[in-house]
Amino acid sequence: MADDFDPQRPSRRPRNQGPGGGEQPGAPGDQAQQPAEPAPSPAPDTVDLNAEWQNAGVQQVLDELDRELIGLQPVKRRIRETAALLLVERARTRMGLTHETPTLHMSFTGNPGTGKTTVAMRMADLLHRLGYLRRGHVVNVSRDDLVGQYIGHTAPKTKEVVKKAMGGVLFIDEAYNLYRPENERDYGHECIEILLQVMENHRDDLVVILAGYTGAMAKFFQSNPGFRSRIAHHIDFPDFQDDELLEIAKLMLGEQHYQLTEAGEQALKDYIAKRRAQPHFANARSVRNALDRARLRQAMRLFETAEGPLDAAALSTIDAPDIYASRVFKGGLDSDHASSEDDGQPAG
Amino acid sequence: MEGSSNQPLSTKERYKEGVLNYRDMGFWRPDYDPADTDILAVFRITPQDGVDPIEAAAAVAGESSTATWTVVWTDRLTAYDKYRGKAYHVEQVPGTQDQWFAYIAYDLDLFEPGSITNVTASIIGNVFGFKPLKGLRLEDMRFPVAYVKTFNGPATGIVVERERLDKFGRPLLGATVKPKLGLSGRNYGRVVYEALKGGLDFTKDDENINSQPFMHWRDRFLYCMEAVNKAEAATGEVKGTYLNVTAPDIEQMYERAEFAKELGSPIVMVDLVVGYTGIQSLANWCRRNNMILHLHRAGHSTYTRQKTHGVSFRVIVKWMRLIGVDHIHAGTVVGKLEGDPMTTAGYYDVCREEHNPRNLEKGLFFDQDWASLNRTFPVASGGIHAGQMHQLLHYLGEDTILQFGGGTIGHPMGIEAGATANRVALEAMILARNEGRDTWNEGPEILREAAKWCTPLQKALDTWGDVTFDYASTDSPDYVTTPTTA
Amino acid sequence: MRLTQGTFSFLPDLSDDQIYRQVQYCIDNGWAVSLEYTDDPHPRNTYWEMWNRPMFDNPDAQALIEELKEARAQLATYYIRVVAFDNSHGWEAPRLSFIAHRPAEEPGFRLERTETEKRRQQYTLQPYASAHPPGQRYR
Repeated sequence: MADDFDPQRPSRRPRNQGPGGGEQPGAPGDQAQQPAEPAPSPAPDTVDLNAEWQNAGVQQVLDELDRELIGLQPVKRRIRETAALLLVERARTRMGLTHETPTLHMSFTGNPGTGKTTVAMRMADLLHRLGYLRRGHVVNVSRDDLVGQYIGHTAPKTKEVVKKAMGGVLFIDEAYNLYRPENERDYGHECIEILLQVMENHRDDLVVILAGYTGAMAKFFQSNPGFRSRIAHHIDFPDFQDDELLEIAKLMLGEQHYQLTEAGEQALKDYIAKRRAQPHFANARSVRNALDRARLRQAMRLFETAEGPLDAAALSTIDAPDIYASRVFKGGLDSDHASSEDDGQPAG
Repeated sequence: MEGSSNQPLSTKERYKEGVLNYRDMGFWRPDYDPADTDILAVFRITPQDGVDPIEAAAAVAGESSTATWTVVWTDRLTAYDKYRGKAYHVEQVPGTQDQWFAYIAYDLDLFEPGSITNVTASIIGNVFGFKPLKGLRLEDMRFPVAYVKTFNGPATGIVVERERLDKFGRPLLGATVKPKLGLSGRNYGRVVYEALKGGLDFTKDDENINSQPFMHWRDRFLYCMEAVNKAEAATGEVKGTYLNVTAPDIEQMYERAEFAKELGSPIVMVDLVVGYTGIQSLANWCRRNNMILHLHRAGHSTYTRQKTHGVSFRVIVKWMRLIGVDHIHAGTVVGKLEGDPMTTAGYYDVCREEHNPRNLEKGLFFDQDWASLNRTFPVASGGIHAGQMHQLLHYLGEDTILQFGGGTIGHPMGIEAGATANRVALEAMILARNEGRDTWNEGPEILREAAKWCTPLQKALDTWGDVTFDYASTDSPDYVTTPTTA
Repeated sequence: MRLTQGTFSFLPDLSDDQIYRQVQYCIDNGWAVSLEYTDDPHPRNTYWEMWNRPMFDNPDAQALIEELKEARAQLATYYIRVVAFDNSHGWEAPRLSFIAHRPAEEPGFRLERTETEKRRQQYTLQPYASAHPPGQRYR
């Protein structure tokens, strides 16, 4: 008999399973109850942590992170530590040394553009591979997605978001915005209550990551001790160094098949140093915006100066004038970009 | 291919009085590129010894379209090139010495819109008795969208039938009342009631239950509907029984169908032997009256089963979907009746897909677009039992109707228990499949697990667990990449 | 009497784990899952009340299980079913539907017969429970 034949050909997608293979219970419902526990098998006497590290694909995630993010050594070290801890925790669970699901909720603090979102995605992947999350997707929200405008609006909104995040990571950006002590009738507290409940009662179902500026988040945790006690992992994201930002810029340009001239590189260095001193500096995000503008100027320059056919090199080269024309070198931000601070997109 | 040239004759030569080769009359057109609006057919031809296959193919094209045995000048009163059937490709059947596949294209204007009867009168008309051929088999047809759109297709179709019955996510279950002949109306209704109450969705008249001395049709309908309504009250589920309205003439078929409708039956059935016109009339009646039409394929094996002569069942299925039957018996693979797995899969695809891609392993020779015609429920019936549930689900999929006649009524604990065994086996298998279990390999174990708490299922497995029908198929695919049958 | 509508009514009542796996199967197929409830289980009562809108974007079945827990707490004396809807062309209909909660007692249906001409019967089906107003039908 041909096993592969089925006249119905149902469109069943492959089950969402990590490459850990036998590590993952086949039926997701088993994981629903105890995600850290594998399918019933006799408790092992020993564990080969290196093999587990490889099998679960932890190294793969870390390598990917290295490829995606320049620098950030302290953050990467923290993730490596967290991975090791969870791996040991998993082994202990299998040996019957512990029965509780560890608390996995986290806070990511640091300035904008320091890679928090990217790290959250890799973290979700990691937790999925280790069997702590069933799906490993990230639901990225901010206050407006959670808090309503009128009475009775907030709870359903928050619950909807929580449901979407089941099995994955709920990433709340600028989480300190949830708490607005200056307004007594703010609905944020309603959302906070629900989140606290979810973080306590659904530790198997989702991981909450609260993200925001270091200072604001510190204040937020101070006024909301409930969060502080439910968060096990604090990771601080330092600003990128100037040379790191330059590396990031080159990576970004490379992806779009652009390159810098030598003078252009020097211009970008100057730009980064100047831009950092200005308000709303957002690390990698500021660099990305600066490059977008540089490409605009390059295009205009080509139109205005070209006298004959242009080759590929000319079309994909960013030169110093494309960068020095920035307003940053003329004493600051321009008014038409001031509004962009709302969405955290600072001007270049 | 040897023989006369591929060059067309001059008009003068072509219309000289006398007898010409068919290929010289313009029925062999190797350069012809079929139009999107052409009806295409592929025949398996077995020429008499010494007959050139290309000439034979051209003869089939001619005899199934405009030609006669001699040249007629009246051809020249027509746009003859348009009306000629065109044999455009001939190839030897893999693994044979004496058989060829002949591909023939027919212009759309050769056929009356919306008439399978007219299609068959041409395509399987005189040509099947043509002397220079030892055998001729219509393997497959491609109907262009332009022609598909002249048919109504199934009035209800799989989706709406499921909605009407409120049954989703599993095959439907039925049983044919047994014994086929001899039960009185009162006894007949008892079987229907027990089977429906026990968990089946449908019961069914057999093909030869019409109106005999032992049971008048009106009596059967009345007792059956009493049973259906009682079973609905006992279970809270929608139930039905296929009331066979096959009758000696169309007027009586209408009369019986009307009566079934008045009694509140959601469905009637008819046999293939009433003919294409009769079926299409009834299909139109069902469309007007919101009824489901079940077709029993009685008689088809007389011309579908042998590979060298007749009509492939896949062609019958295509005709029936166009005509508009909601159910058609299409084989079980594992049961007592003919059915190679791949060939059967082809029939099921024709019933259920919106578009059939060409797939020679399944015997589908052409792409077929169904132009949003409703889908027909394939019915699996004949020698199947609860112990094969995993195989049935594997081969036939979810959108099918499984008919367990003997497998319900022959249960040692009674009809109701037989029905329950089938329903439990089915639901347990669907549950397991959805959970991601490997039902093909773990099927028997899944059934044993369910039998632990369901005695009727245990009894069914004890009684029939080992019954299989392993015989070589007579109608297997010609293009085989992997072995397909046990 | 046990109402046998829905795909798994002949099996013992499903546990939340089992329900989770069925719902996840539906989600993995790209179907939108939702809950519906009623205290009028007439077989032709198509439109049960919607407990929620179909979940189109939630990748994990636990979201529906949470809804089910809430629904059960509020509707202990009702029938609650899981419905999975497929919006792909040619379907645009439910693909799976099964009862996930039922009242403790199920009194069943009364079958009423009315004689008409020529031995014919007119059949009417009434849930015994529907003699009471909505909300007071099952215990």
